[in-house]
Amino acid sequence: MRTNLRSLLILAAVLALPAPFARGQSPVPSAQDSALHALNRLAYGPRPGDVERVARAGVMHWIDLQLAPERIADDGVAARERSYKILDYDPAELAADFAEAVRQRREMRRELIESGDTGRGRSRKGAGAPMQEFRKLGGELQALAVMRAVMSERQLYEVMVDFWTNHFNVFVGKGADRFLTPTYIERTIRPHALGRFEDLLVATAQSPAMLFYLDNVQSVAPGSVPPFARFAGQSGGRRLGTGINENYARELLELHTLGVDGGYTQDDVINVARIFTGWGMALPRRGAAFAFHDWAHDRGVKQVLGVKYSGGGMDEGIRLLKALARNPATIHNVSRKLCARFVADDPPDGCVDAAAAAWARSNGDIRAVLRAIFTSPDFWAPSAFQAKVKTPLEFVVSAVRAAGGEPDETPRLAQVVARLGQPLYLQTAPTGYAETEAHWVNSGALLARMNAAVALAAGRLPGVRVDLDGVVPATADRDALVDGVNARVLGGAMSGRTRTVIREQLADVGNPATARALAVGLALGGPEFQRQ
Amino acid sequence: MTISRRVFVTSGGLALFSLGFDPLFLSRAAYAAGRSALGPSDRPVLVCLFQRGAVDGLNMIVPHGDALYYDERPRIAIPRADVVDLDGHFGLHPSLATLKPLWDNGSLAAIHAVGSPDATRSHFDAQDYMESGTPGVKSTSDGWLNRYCRHDQEHADTPFRAVAFGPQLPRILAGTAPALAIDDLQAFGLKMPREAARDRLTRAFEALYEGSATGLLASSSQEGFEALQALKRADPTQYTSANGAEYPPGRLGRSMLQIAQLIKSDLGLQIAFADVGGWDTHVNQGSSEGQLAARLRELAGSLAAFSRDLGERMRHVVVLTMSEFGRTIRENGNSGTDHGHATAMLVLGGPVNGGKVLGRWPGLDPAQRFEGRDVAVTTDFRTLFSEILSRHLGAPDLGSVFPGFTPDPTRFVGAIRV
Repeated sequence: MRTNLRSLLILAAVLALPAPFARGQSPVPSAQDSALHALNRLAYGPRPGDVERVARAGVMHWIDLQLAPERIADDGVAARERSYKILDYDPAELAADFAEAVRQRREMRRELIESGDTGRGRSRKGAGAPMQEFRKLGGELQALAVMRAVMSERQLYEVMVDFWTNHFNVFVGKGADRFLTPTYIERTIRPHALGRFEDLLVATAQSPAMLFYLDNVQSVAPGSVPPFARFAGQSGGRRLGTGINENYARELLELHTLGVDGGYTQDDVINVARIFTGWGMALPRRGAAFAFHDWAHDRGVKQVLGVKYSGGGMDEGIRLLKALARNPATIHNVSRKLCARFVADDPPDGCVDAAAAAWARSNGDIRAVLRAIFTSPDFWAPSAFQAKVKTPLEFVVSAVRAAGGEPDETPRLAQVVARLGQPLYLQTAPTGYAETEAHWVNSGALLARMNAAVALAAGRLPGVRVDLDGVVPATADRDALVDGVNARVLGGAMSGRTRTVIREQLADVGNPATARALAVGLALGGPEFQRQ
Repeated sequence: MTISRRVFVTSGGLALFSLGFDPLFLSRAAYAAGRSALGPSDRPVLVCLFQRGAVDGLNMIVPHGDALYYDERPRIAIPRADVVDLDGHFGLHPSLATLKPLWDNGSLAAIHAVGSPDATRSHFDAQDYMESGTPGVKSTSDGWLNRYCRHDQEHADTPFRAVAFGPQLPRILAGTAPALAIDDLQAFGLKMPREAARDRLTRAFEALYEGSATGLLASSSQEGFEALQALKRADPTQYTSANGAEYPPGRLGRSMLQIAQLIKSDLGLQIAFADVGGWDTHVNQGSSEGQLAARLRELAGSLAAFSRDLGERMRHVVVLTMSEFGRTIRENGNSGTDHGHATAMLVLGGPVNGGKVLGRWPGLDPAQRFEGRDVAVTTDFRTLFSEILSRHLGAPDLGSVFPGFTPDPTRFVGAIRV
């Protein structure tokens, strides 16, 4: 019985291998397969010709370079970034504009109520007009993220920006986060994405975007009174609290650091919340910068995970964050999450241990942790190749890259990502988006991906310019076409079966350009391209 | 040349079997190939609505007869004058007033003080437990509705047996039994201007996935193609809402309309799932009006429209609302409520033993509270779910649906008429 089960499992494992291994060739990955694997995981997939380039230069050399993005020129992205107004805004001005929009909306609502106009749809729409600008801002923010993911030469850096943005999730649709999120991405996440975890953690804890999102701006020591009457009543467009709010404290422990099994108690959560009382922000019309409100801070003695915090002040929070960043539970929790992103949904212990050891050795240097993952045997194990299903963002970005496409200036391509299930910055739950196959693969989502692939190849996908001439020449030679699609679009990952099916579909298509669009659409919508 | 469907189904099933997949999939596939996908119109249907974010059960089903309720919530309690009284002690939030006729005709009941035996106040964990059906156990990989589907094969003859409305399949339906996620019935399928081109493209992708997909990609794509064929035949969107039912605008209303369309098109729907967010009312949750009131109005409007639309067919339908936990009895410093413990759930439909607030009410007395602050759980959510599965759907084997839990019929709250 046991032997039967085991042989069945071995058979299953063999059948599940990516094509080159399943065909009974040598189990040692070729330079091409290794290059494709690295490009799939450290980057948003290869552009036409990338696999050959990386294989020729040496995959470890390419990985080293990706770990040092400051040495990679990225002029194309720099040129494109100039068209994003969002990067020119002064955060304080943006905050003041938001305060003005809130004021106008309140005014308009009052007028509508006074005029007796209670028509629900109309009054809603009318009163929403001042906020229109900020909704557009959210769209531009999404578009910028997708443009960078498609076009940046610093691919690993962009992948890590996405990873940390998701790990330290905020929701751009919540009140002040409409204008705080751009600053959060540009000044909190991006500068630390390949830095030290501790610095990133402290930066997020001091970001108005996070403090507002998880209600810490509302959290004050019971009985505390603001020093000036003009501060009473308003903070970030919402009323000040009269007691502690546990939201940030809980997610800090559960999601950002220790993990849900990290060994903390409800008392720890309450004490963490007490430590962070006073961590808030200035009023929007005063710039909405991070501010520590001494008057709101609980000066009593607290105990978290057995450590006493006394004396009060902002320093308590900093000490706590540093302790959390070095806690073995945090190291394991975040290392495992990184391995789930880069190696497998359920990562082997080996790479998690290697990452955690590098973390401990380097005091949380994210580059050192990543290097440990990329050099661990688990990362290069044949079972890791093509083992992960792409998220909607990864699918759309990798498809555009594979088709040699370039996003236009509109948020329409980001809206495609949203329609496939992953609207950027709009995940309301602090967990961020899931990384696991079971979360993303279902029949409806697959059909939507097939539709997007066909539209992309036909040049009909909104928000992207595609020029297939630069990818595969349109030719009447069907075999040459399919070879070209395999090498240039799928990075050589096409199975024999897929090749046969695509070849059959092309048989009676006369127009070479139509045949090419069909072949590319089937390849991008087919099963191989859903994996990485 | 294209592969015939029969070959696709058979070889797809075999490939999955050799990959160690549940052999039930094979039998189901073979069954589907040999039979019409139409199910009987009197098949019992369960519609689950997940209120994500932890609904404040105390302001939904209001214990207006309890003075402590008003003491603890000076700013957000529902004034007695606004409560739609049900039994002298409990009443509906005024936004739920549209549901009162359903209460009066005996097709709507509420269960109070229901929740998880696990103490977590994390949305993430508590939702996970409510969907996996194994509170306290994180390693469970599938959801309880999926396990039910796997162990009750009687209705497994259609790809529409279990459908979730939304872009992703929720945890509650994740697992090896086939289940569909549909974001929009109208847009479900491959988009091509001409039908011939659409059919051809569909066949091409079907052949691609049949040949090269593994694991979840293989089973999900096969479910998708089967569903496309059945949908094309039945065309559920031909059913507009009946009896003057008007669904509220928004995602929930649209989901409920489409669930009704699927039921009417007799595609064999047995389990439907939809979710609705916005219940995490930490700040300014409001009282008779405000944030929570607006969410409840949308919920009530959707339920009332659904019930009216289905009319006579509600005889075989049960709608169950659920939420991961309740909220603190005492309002917080921000005129809101924080994460609590027990909450209230609603059951609606012909088989429901309605017009009652069910479950044992522990009261709001501090001595009776969970951890001194929250409504205590007197009904384990698995007990309620078990009752509905066994008495409404006729589930034969609940042990495998809720592993590690033995439902005790003497503890059933009596949500379903027997």
